Amino acid sequence: MNCRSEALEVSVEGRQVDEAMLALLHTILLHRSTGKFHYKKEGTYSIGTVGTQDIDCDFIDFSFVRVSSDELDRAIRKAVGEFKDAMGNGMDGMGQISLEFYQKKKSRWPFSDECIPWEVWSIKVNVVNLANEQERQICREKVGEKLGEKVINIVEVINRHEYLPKMPTQSEVDNVFDTSLKDVQPYLYKITFQITDTLGSSVSTTMRRLIKDTLAL
Amino acid sequence: MAAHFDTEYQRLEASYSDSPPGEENLLVHIPDGNKSPWHHIENLDLFFQRVYNLHQKNGFTCMLLGEVFELVQLLFVVGFTVFLANCVDYDILFANKFVNHTDSSKVTLPDAFLPVDVCGASIRDNVAVMFVLMISGVFWLHRLIKFIYNVCCYWEIRSFYTNALKMSMAELPYFTWQEVQARIVEIQKEHQICIHKKELTELDIYHRILRFKNYMVAMVNKSLLPVRFRPPLLGESVFYTRGLKYNFELIFFWGPGSLFESEWSLKPQYKRGGNRLELADKLASRILWIGIANLLLCPVVLVWQILYAFFSYTEVIKREPGSLGARCWSLYGRCYLRHFNELDHELMSRLSKGYKASSRYMNCFLSPLLTVVAKNVAFFAGSLLAVLIALTIYDEDVLAVEHVLSSITLLGVCITVCRSFIPDKHLVYCPEQLLRLILAHIHYMPDHWQGNAHRYETRDQFSQLFQYKAVFILEELTSPLVTPFILIFSLRRKSLEIIDFFRNFTVEVVGVGDTCSFAQMDIRQHGHPAWMSEGKTEASIYQQAEDGKTELSLMHFAITNPQWQPPTETTHFISQLKERVQRETTGDRQTLTSLSGSEPRSLIANFLAGPPSLASLHLGRDGSLTDHGPVGVNDGASALRSLSVSSTRGSCSSAHRSAGHASFASRAMPGSSTDARTASSGSSVWEGQLTSLVLSEYASTEMSIHALYIHELHKQQSGGELSRHTWHRQDSDDSSDSVTEEGGSGGGNPNPRNLIPRSHTFPISTPISTPGPIPSSNSGPNPDRGPTPGQEVTPLQSNSQRRYGGNTDSVGPGGRVVRSERVPMGGWAEQGRGGRHPDTVPEEGSEDDMPPNTHKVT
Repeated sequence: MNCRSEALEVSVEGRQVDEAMLALLHTILLHRSTGKFHYKKEGTYSIGTVGTQDIDCDFIDFSFVRVSSDELDRAIRKAVGEFKDAMGNGMDGMGQISLEFYQKKKSRWPFSDECIPWEVWSIKVNVVNLANEQERQICREKVGEKLGEKVINIVEVINRHEYLPKMPTQSEVDNVFDTSLKDVQPYLYKITFQITDTLGSSVSTTMRRLIKDTLAL
Repeated sequence: MAAHFDTEYQRLEASYSDSPPGEENLLVHIPDGNKSPWHHIENLDLFFQRVYNLHQKNGFTCMLLGEVFELVQLLFVVGFTVFLANCVDYDILFANKFVNHTDSSKVTLPDAFLPVDVCGASIRDNVAVMFVLMISGVFWLHRLIKFIYNVCCYWEIRSFYTNALKMSMAELPYFTWQEVQARIVEIQKEHQICIHKKELTELDIYHRILRFKNYMVAMVNKSLLPVRFRPPLLGESVFYTRGLKYNFELIFFWGPGSLFESEWSLKPQYKRGGNRLELADKLASRILWIGIANLLLCPVVLVWQILYAFFSYTEVIKREPGSLGARCWSLYGRCYLRHFNELDHELMSRLSKGYKASSRYMNCFLSPLLTVVAKNVAFFAGSLLAVLIALTIYDEDVLAVEHVLSSITLLGVCITVCRSFIPDKHLVYCPEQLLRLILAHIHYMPDHWQGNAHRYETRDQFSQLFQYKAVFILEELTSPLVTPFILIFSLRRKSLEIIDFFRNFTVEVVGVGDTCSFAQMDIRQHGHPAWMSEGKTEASIYQQAEDGKTELSLMHFAITNPQWQPPTETTHFISQLKERVQRETTGDRQTLTSLSGSEPRSLIANFLAGPPSLASLHLGRDGSLTDHGPVGVNDGASALRSLSVSSTRGSCSSAHRSAGHASFASRAMPGSSTDARTASSGSSVWEGQLTSLVLSEYASTEMSIHALYIHELHKQQSGGELSRHTWHRQDSDDSSDSVTEEGGSGGGNPNPRNLIPRSHTFPISTPISTPGPIPSSNSGPNPDRGPTPGQEVTPLQSNSQRRYGGNTDSVGPGGRVVRSERVPMGGWAEQGRGGRHPDTVPEEGSEDDMPPNTHKVT
């Protein structure tokens, strides 16, 4: 609960799914990444630069800016690809992909490290099925406009002065940032997705809750 | 897109080390480094609950010891019972069988024990015993694991106390909860425990700790829970036990498949009105299953209850047989009397203060018939007893005669019981006064009690709140048998109402999550026109809290947490009320001597002057005599005035030192036994603590006066027309029937058809101050009703607070509730969905018309 949640929703055609998702996820990550930290003596650090890159979409009249990091791009493409596969190539459907920023917290022995989310973006996708080419053309423009609005929304949210994890010291940098990439350093994130209206939470979370509840005083 | 702008702002490949020459000197950052482990806590609900628990249990060590002993006790109960049942040769104990001892004729206790192998064999052969042992073994293991888990968790809380709050465990018992809370609010600024807002308010903490309790209080308040029954012989009675409560909580809040998906959020499908019938069916079947499970487990639970009761109460009964005649606040009473946002210790201290007056009140009602019978029974029993005792004194061999000892004991018990039916000759009771005194502490009572305090009906109803301990134990014992039937037959029928309740009265507050909207204590939302919020409330009858609960809770919270900053309109209400009360009390000084003042004045005068016997003593006292002897009216009133004028803590404490000076206003009230916490530190010499305790005493007095005042005003206002505030709201059963056929959700109304506006007429017939007020009940029969006027106005909300019943609030930056449009509740989400069914090109704006899911981003 102790985390912000932001929700977005888009309706797109089947073949636009991955581009739309990439556009939104990359936009968020662009603002949630920093350059690599270089720690110096005396506990100070300097921040490297972040390159950006314009990407044009093939199926949507839209282009977006992303961090020019191939590694990050690969990771996100992979997640989006899985999402698309899971949605199936069925005609229409619903799905939700969520991008969760978290930080790790060390716990003492009996418990494993906690991952505590501080911001969750969930993007709902409705896949629509279009009858003819003319509708597709219209859709192409409409979705582009919509995505533009969403990007503005995202930027507005990010511009708010709200909680961000504090800048870590060298030993703790792994608890806040994903340092595995060599050219950019986003906050620790996780991409998960859910298909159609599986409204109930998954079995594992229910079980975990059940156990926790029985243990609680 | 034809035109390809090749704008790739690439990283500079050349400078791989990422630091162009000289940059080291230009851009150097210093990490915050402030890595407190307490920022951004994941589960704040649990966290605050634990902080509160640890405080209430007086620190880590006490808690640990308590838990360890509980575990040991459990083992002992089971072990000892099994031992008594299987390993003792009762023939030897009762001397039916002789022991052939060689050396002496004395029978020793160990003689009566069976040898280990025989005993073991008999246990092993007995299937039932093995069953019980197994069950309790599992139970014990569960407790053990829970214990270990808790120790780990609370260790963390302990270090939170010592490191972040800077309170050592040894000092903890001397801090009041308000102080702990103040420190939490303070350190939020530094540690950011909650990431949603910069500052926590007291209300946030209360909301989190009491999230589910507030729901329960509201459900009892709206007579939603089936706790009143009319069994054939007993008449109207209340049955609400711990077992039943546990089951309710299991069903609603945390059990598998409950309405809440986590501690802080209701499952989304329950927030939408569309498939309420379906959800109600689901809930009903879940209740059925839980009921059946209860039925199956009933033997186990029953055995457990009996054992537990036996071991925990027999000793007490032997020691003081009168204790069964003593009374305690029933579980239902605690729910009925609890304010919204009232923590356990606050409730307990309030109720304990009312205990004495309450038991005196109950003692007023001794049936003359019973008295006569009791006197005679006591006479005969007494003479028998006297003879037996006399004989024993003469020769103690009498004791060796069979059954003499046991008859002496029995006669003794008999006399004690009889004596409790014989009234004390030298006491005079005035039930009306007593009831008022009780009201000053318990703050709630149905309207028709006033003026009827001397009647047996009132007494019977009061005894539902304040029951005999024996009855309490008996109810607990029968609970395993009765609970499944209540679940299956009564709760199940209410499933639709429950679904409606949770949808209509859940509100999402930013930084807190889904809470019961009653707990917001918003006069406008839930105020009751007959309780001072005339003209301020916009609530429909379904939304009004009964018995003035919203108003009284608000006053209580504002008084106990003076630092809390309520929303402006609420502040207005509070200050207005305080002013009126103050004026009345000031006026009292003049009119007091004559005691001629009309209702509220004389009432407060009486109240402050204490019981009638003391009143005459204080009446002649003038304002200058404050510094010695018992505290009179003027003292209390002036202290009160100083308190209400300066509600900030700093100026308050100084005011108290001068005005209060070791004379608590509460001393004017009889029976104001301070709670354990107060007592424990009352003797301590810490100035700071003392003032805060004085403060809390004053606060409780002030609250008492306000409660009396509000009740009095309410009585004047409502005049003869009391029909709605029936104590019973008997219809709860009938209405559940009507609900199932009509689909309405008018739980607490004598006459739902007339009073509750049906949803399809309501939006049209109501004056529209804000666009489209909410209908109180959902569109049962016609869930697919067309879009109503309010619907089009659903814009993008600012989304910090949403009410799922349909009206939409939002909390402004300071946690204030800013109202925006209200929307009728019947399945708007679904209509939105229907609007953009994916067949055509998604039209413009279609997404924006679906409030709940889209555009949380603003």
